[in-house]
Amino acid sequence: MAAGLLAPMIRFAIDPVLQSQEKSGDLVNVNLSVDDITDTPQRVDWEVQQVDGWYESNINRTAWVYKDENGEIVALSPICTHLGCFVSWEGSEDYPNEFYCPCHDGRYYKDGTNVPGTPPLRPLDVYEHAVENGMLYLGEPKPREGA
Amino acid sequence: MKWLRKDLEKYVQAKEYVDTVIIPVQMFQVVDENQLEKDSFDSEVLAIFANEIEKELSGRVMLAPAYTYVKGADLGREAERLNEWIKHLKQQPFKHIFVLTLDMQWKKSEASLDANLLWLPGLKPTNLQSQEAVQVIRGQIEQISELIRSYW
Repeated sequence: MAAGLLAPMIRFAIDPVLQSQEKSGDLVNVNLSVDDITDTPQRVDWEVQQVDGWYESNINRTAWVYKDENGEIVALSPICTHLGCFVSWEGSEDYPNEFYCPCHDGRYYKDGTNVPGTPPLRPLDVYEHAVENGMLYLGEPKPREGA
Repeated sequence: MKWLRKDLEKYVQAKEYVDTVIIPVQMFQVVDENQLEKDSFDSEVLAIFANEIEKELSGRVMLAPAYTYVKGADLGREAERLNEWIKHLKQQPFKHIFVLTLDMQWKKSEASLDANLLWLPGLKPTNLQSQEAVQVIRGQIEQISELIRSYW
């Protein structure tokens, strides 16, 4: 019985992604086949329904999606953690292999970690993700600790 | 940033980072029935452009409420009023002020404005949610953002 209680907790501790897979109702199919994800971040756009007090609306979401060196899928929020501008992969010719924010020259390494000395104080948020039938599903962007 | 409480809260904290304002300038009419659809469509397109540019550059750009005037108004007089808005905005340390419009009449009054005029050609009335429209608009937004950034 103890083992039965423990098992779900271990799974929770090991991989938060598994957790989000369980309630994949919250995740949205973003129309991208996992086979089409490369090691170069690509822009993915999709729509989600949002009810926000007075308004019910479709809002557009965007992620930068790629596979890291271990083949793991990474989906980063494009919203600069400084003041919320839209960051682009290799958005500046001066900073190859980084995400770049055009507003105040904020920079992030490929894994989304903020480059010290530039305005952002924490990494780009990471979307919850899951894979089902070879398709990518994305959920909510989650903040991470500062570098 | 928009002129909303939650954004203005952020603005006072981060004022030194926000040096640019965009004023959407929007024409309104209900009399010329042949043009009603086109004119209202233009105003929807303008709102989409304004919102999307704001989204792209929200950490440095404040989107002002739209300046609205009746079609056929004396643009010389409207320019004077708009200049009062611009003067007001400049009391904050806003360095760059852009006036965004789809009404080409403004092009002729450009010199009388104390701001940079960004005139955008309208789109053919279409479903704004369609894939094609989204692609076209996104492409234009990229270019307008780039233009604004070239002033920074």
